[in-house]
Amino acid sequence: MSTKAETVIRFSRRTRVEHVAVMGLFLALAVTGFPQKFYPAPGTRWFVDALGGIDAVRWLHRASGVLFAALFVVHVVGAVWPTLRRKAALSLVPDAKDFRDAAATLRYQLGTAPKPPAFDRFDYRQKFEYWGLLLGGSVMVATGFLLLFPLLATAVLGGQFVPAAKVAHSNEGLMAFLVVLTWHIFNAHLSPEAFPGDTTIFTGRIDKERLRHEHALEYARFAAGAPAPALTGRPMWALVTAPVRGALLVMYLPTLGFVMVGLHLARRVRTAVRGLRSRPEPRDEDDAGEPPASAA
Amino acid sequence: MRLPILAALALTAAAVGARAEDPPAPATVQDCLACHGDPDLSITLGSGETQSLHVDAGGYAHSVHGSALNCTACHPGFEAQPHPTVNTASRASFRSAFRDACKTCHLDNDRKAHDGVHYQLLAAGDTRAPFCADCHTAHAVAPPSRPRAHISQMCGQCHAPIVAAYRESVHGRALTDGNPDVPACTDCHRAHDMKDPRQRAWLLETPQMCGKCHGDPKLAAKYGMSDKVLQTYLADFHGMTASLHERKSTGGTRFTALCIDCHGVHDIKRVKDPGSRVVRANLVKTCQACHAGADPTFPAAWLSHYEPSPKKAPLVYAVKVFYIAFIPFVIGGLVLQVGLNLWRFWVGR
Repeated sequence: MSTKAETVIRFSRRTRVEHVAVMGLFLALAVTGFPQKFYPAPGTRWFVDALGGIDAVRWLHRASGVLFAALFVVHVVGAVWPTLRRKAALSLVPDAKDFRDAAATLRYQLGTAPKPPAFDRFDYRQKFEYWGLLLGGSVMVATGFLLLFPLLATAVLGGQFVPAAKVAHSNEGLMAFLVVLTWHIFNAHLSPEAFPGDTTIFTGRIDKERLRHEHALEYARFAAGAPAPALTGRPMWALVTAPVRGALLVMYLPTLGFVMVGLHLARRVRTAVRGLRSRPEPRDEDDAGEPPASAA
Repeated sequence: MRLPILAALALTAAAVGARAEDPPAPATVQDCLACHGDPDLSITLGSGETQSLHVDAGGYAHSVHGSALNCTACHPGFEAQPHPTVNTASRASFRSAFRDACKTCHLDNDRKAHDGVHYQLLAAGDTRAPFCADCHTAHAVAPPSRPRAHISQMCGQCHAPIVAAYRESVHGRALTDGNPDVPACTDCHRAHDMKDPRQRAWLLETPQMCGKCHGDPKLAAKYGMSDKVLQTYLADFHGMTASLHERKSTGGTRFTALCIDCHGVHDIKRVKDPGSRVVRANLVKTCQACHAGADPTFPAAWLSHYEPSPKKAPLVYAVKVFYIAFIPFVIGGLVLQVGLNLWRFWVGR
């Protein structure tokens, strides 16, 4: 920390503005979205009334959603266009090294490796979060527009897509919020390296010493006087494969979460078995109910 | 063992008797009927209307009050001859002279009625608005729910078109047949403190009102209905909107679909009835009331009070199951990573 004043530029102004915008919109969407998802929760109605009523809350949510969608497009175009013109590399595209890094980090954390792996410009955690936001954001934007234009959605896609979009929008939103709460807040604020907060995304600058520590490969290139890596290979192909690989990374990393799913499913099976035992004649829900009209 | 009870009964009887004979001796029913038993006894009001003063002796004798109350219990001072002066300018003024007779005993219902829309109309000077005797009758007062169909007849005296529509509804027909489970007017609107049903605050309570019966598993089993209609409604967009809407009494009546917006208010039909608004053939039209331009595919966006299942809504069900697995998977994984990170840091120290 002796070279505290020595910093290097890490993020462009555009990236910083995009981060502040997505932060504000994410908060606005969560604040106006969760009262709708958790409407029976105590205090929800009071909160909605304090914001000016459910109609005002919906208006805010939709306006923020449309802005989020616009930001999404601006960001993707801003990443794709320079790549096509071979002016920038897709430094956030996951590659095989990220998977090796994840495993190596796990080994380090479990104590079987002496030190963590050296990362390039973005480590696998940052890539995971980026692609999680990008893929989750695309789900939110797509389902959000389905819900905003239900007449068009049913005419083009069919009726079931609207309730399906509602379930997806509601759950994906909850997941995004929980990811930010657990992962982003930890990595950017609470982790021992970042506490009390990583300011790089706001100032655009990172301490040289921190760069050396956290992004050793990039630092080595930087120290050798090399410019940012130019794009090699075919940009079109990279743009096609990037989302696929991003999705792979997002799906791959939380493998340990399978434990949670296993526990959850086991509990459900146990409840179901117990329910069958205690109720010898389970009522068939579909036959017992007075079938609602349109089911005829 | 039985003696004290008999003694208590005798004392009570004596007390009642004593009250009836308190001075000045009130006229007995028979005394009054000497004149008021005449079916032709009437006066001409200032407005020119004829007001009958006849009291049906049999009707009163068989009423709930017939064996307990003398005429003067409700008409105090009328034992004197000549009777106290009553404003006979019009039918309204004549009626209003006896308006407060019931509250001596029925104070609780009288107070409730003060919160009701009828009293508000009365207070605002609408002389058509009913008070106690208009629904319960003045002298032949019977228990209000015997038979229950009587209730809708009483309301129909003023609300004839609504009651006519109600009689043709699934509830109204069953009520006429003596079914004890269907709602009569007062089950939804309440008997004394009925609110103006055009108020938004009241409308927003209607789903819970319907849910009192339609969320009852016992009634659902008895009539082969689904008891999930309220919870599936509340879980969907319209129900969530109704739950979150501000409970203010002003504002328009159209803001989100309530039960009554799709199923009808008084003319509710069985959902399979070809005339029902929610039967498949009519459903688009019902949606179009709010969703102008909805095409025939639109009603499929509503799951008809079904919870998504592989049979009813496979796509919705699949998305639901996916997230039930995916959210704990992702969040569990991330929490584990965070835990490992912190553990390593702690060990490293």
